[in-house]
Amino acid sequence: MAEIERRSVCDGVWFRSIRDSRFKTVRISIHFFRPLERDTVSENAILPFLLTRASRQYPDYTKLNEHLAELYGAELDADVQKLGDLQVLSISITGLADRYALCGEKLSSEYSRLLCSLLFDPLLVDGMFPEDGFEQEKRQMSETLDAEFNDKRLYALRRCEEIMCSGEPYGIGRYGTKKDIQAIKRENLTQVWQSMIHSAQAEIIVLGDCDPEPVFKDFSDAFLNVGRAFKVVPCSKVIKTVDCPKEETETTDVAQSKLVMGFRAGCAEPDKMVPAMKLMSALYGGTPNSKLFLNVREKMSLCYYCSSMFNPMKGLLMVQSGVENTNIERAKNEILKQLEEVKKNNFTDDDLQAAKLSLCNSYHTVADSLDSLEGWYLSKTFSDPSRTPEQEAAMITAVTREELVEAANKVVLDTVYRLTGIEAKQ
Amino acid sequence: MTTENKIKEVRNDRCGDRYFEIQHSSGLRIYLYPKEKHNSTYAVFGTKYGSIDNCFQATGDKEPQCVPSGIAHYLEHKMFESEDGDAFARYAKTGASANAYTSFDMTCYLFSCTENVYEALEILLDFVQSPYFTEKTVQKEQGIIGQEIRMYDDNPQWRVMFNLLKALYHNHPVKIDIAGTIESIAQITPELLYKCYNTFYNLNNMALCVAGNIDPERVLALCDKMLKPSPPSKVQRIFEPEPETIVQPRIEQSLSVAVPLFELGFKESVANGRANVQQLAATDILLEALASPASPLYRSLLDDGLINEASFSHEYFEGPGFASVIFSGESADPDAVAERIKEEIQRIRREGIGKEAFRRAKNAVYGRNLMALNDVGVIANTMLSLSFADRELFSYIDAVAEADEDSVLARLDVQLNPENSAISIVKPIR
Repeated sequence: MAEIERRSVCDGVWFRSIRDSRFKTVRISIHFFRPLERDTVSENAILPFLLTRASRQYPDYTKLNEHLAELYGAELDADVQKLGDLQVLSISITGLADRYALCGEKLSSEYSRLLCSLLFDPLLVDGMFPEDGFEQEKRQMSETLDAEFNDKRLYALRRCEEIMCSGEPYGIGRYGTKKDIQAIKRENLTQVWQSMIHSAQAEIIVLGDCDPEPVFKDFSDAFLNVGRAFKVVPCSKVIKTVDCPKEETETTDVAQSKLVMGFRAGCAEPDKMVPAMKLMSALYGGTPNSKLFLNVREKMSLCYYCSSMFNPMKGLLMVQSGVENTNIERAKNEILKQLEEVKKNNFTDDDLQAAKLSLCNSYHTVADSLDSLEGWYLSKTFSDPSRTPEQEAAMITAVTREELVEAANKVVLDTVYRLTGIEAKQ
Repeated sequence: MTTENKIKEVRNDRCGDRYFEIQHSSGLRIYLYPKEKHNSTYAVFGTKYGSIDNCFQATGDKEPQCVPSGIAHYLEHKMFESEDGDAFARYAKTGASANAYTSFDMTCYLFSCTENVYEALEILLDFVQSPYFTEKTVQKEQGIIGQEIRMYDDNPQWRVMFNLLKALYHNHPVKIDIAGTIESIAQITPELLYKCYNTFYNLNNMALCVAGNIDPERVLALCDKMLKPSPPSKVQRIFEPEPETIVQPRIEQSLSVAVPLFELGFKESVANGRANVQQLAATDILLEALASPASPLYRSLLDDGLINEASFSHEYFEGPGFASVIFSGESADPDAVAERIKEEIQRIRREGIGKEAFRRAKNAVYGRNLMALNDVGVIANTMLSLSFADRELFSYIDAVAEADEDSVLARLDVQLNPENSAISIVKPIR
């Protein structure tokens, strides 16, 4: 597998690429990093969606989508996510590699030019983003938040993170709240866009079967034209201690209650303990062979899912499960008991080996998908931007039992969140 | 390799890929799709047996037998257990990521891994051929599957779909939840599981597909060692006759949601059997032209605030004895969306699609299908489901590339009849 190359485009703008003809596709993406702040979160979040609606070259939503269909169904995507205490604003395009075009079209250069046109030359009317598109994107962002409520598993996880991190930037939702979205002012957005391309740290990632040089040139020229006044983004805040665990229960009309437990893991990137914590999470609740799966699900028959996830940017360990109302406390106690077991070094060498194999397997798989590769390298931006999945797998393999136990003993309970059903009337 | 295995190489110039199709001496159909430069390998071992196969008569049975709803899915869960531990514990020694799923017409066991591929494959071939059910192990699953059912009870996308199927289908078991109900799974016994296993887990009724970093010779040698030849089997699947009409044009349910969800389904006749790859390709292009983001319909729905890009989608939902086109999404006014879609269908019937729109739609469907061939999981699962429907992957891709406007318009004669449509809505609790 080809190595990643990282180089500077200009002040605070980086370019990473892997050229790999195993893929039938090309993926080009650009990501801007902004500090998560209540006052700006929604106006930042709407930008990628506004920018991918139209540009001066493609001033009409339908015409732009016709062009994408023409390019063999190339997929243009806008995305907003959180990386620690930062908000990541992304625009990407995925399309067929040149060699599969039925009529010899040069597809890759089309993708690159299209992205630059959307990003650097948006459609503005009287200096502002057009009103119809703006209103529509506001509505769609609001509806995305509604859809999150429809998915109770995701909703419960987000609520727990929100409560747990209420005093930190990470506690802010990636789009803000519906109220924040309503308050976005169209007249501010041109300035928000300009500030983003002028001063935000940006990462361009080019993957798949295409020559990265023309893409590098397109983006270099574009950034040269706008000029840069780069502002360094702050580090994520990592809280390691808990005075008193928080408990919160909310009620809604559901058949199955949700239990989410948020722990402070006591370490985050770039701490040397992170690989041990990743392994600890895999052994504790990351696989169908983990402590949580084997006990809470298989042995006690309490649930269909019970798993843990470690967030290495913020140092959070989240455990989630869906259970009957009457079994919530039993599940909670067993989740805590199994953590104690790991803390007390009560697991076999086979368990340790299985967790290592499972994690290494998932790292080795990353290289087979452009989405996974992009996600991988994006998540490494502030720790070790060129670290390959293979290098990480080697670090995991080297973790000792003692290091894993030491990591487990750093984990403390911070928040217990329950989303319970309205008790069925007997 | 034994000489009894019949091996055929299938190539395609458009995508530049090839695979091997093997009719194995044991009765199993095997597909091997090498991707030598990939790190990972994805294997799926499946049986043509899903939630709709609730009534059947196997060779030697005196009379048809009907079994409780949800049994195929229950069986899937129980296959992982054997007398000496469970398959996940065995897989754990290989690092493979393993799973299984049950759909309307198939049950599949799969893994993905980057090392120890042949060890993992041996485990897969072994446990799927080794049933072990006792009162105790069957009982234990009640709580777990019970919670899986409860989880889906809260899932509005799941509910809106099954409500739609109830509105479209009078008798076909496609309208019954794949996992069954808390009551129906309570009736499942080890004897019933063995009956279903012995009827449907016959290698002649199954297929194996392995895609990724493999040596086909070595995979076949392992199959030769592991596969226990099955006697030729004949199972008769019994379905009550299904009228061509729908049950009711509208169905609603209130759930804990913030915005209404809808599914609009157009039932079609299955009198002529299942669609071939040319018809499938034509349908995909038709739906792309009708309702993709480049279409006038999509634009008008979006501009009027009736749909959003995150949720509006369409699919051709078809299997043994059922076929429908389904549009779904979130909307403040699902009835208005349904009206617009029906009007647009009638307009296309009158005016056609138009040369340019047809070409763009064809390009998009073609490109997306080729793009999907990056993914060994997609390849393996797609090949398996195509195989059970007697279809073939590369022929489908060629059919998309070679489709013409007339073949696409011909699908309108048998699909998308507004008279035979129903809308399902899940709305917020007042």
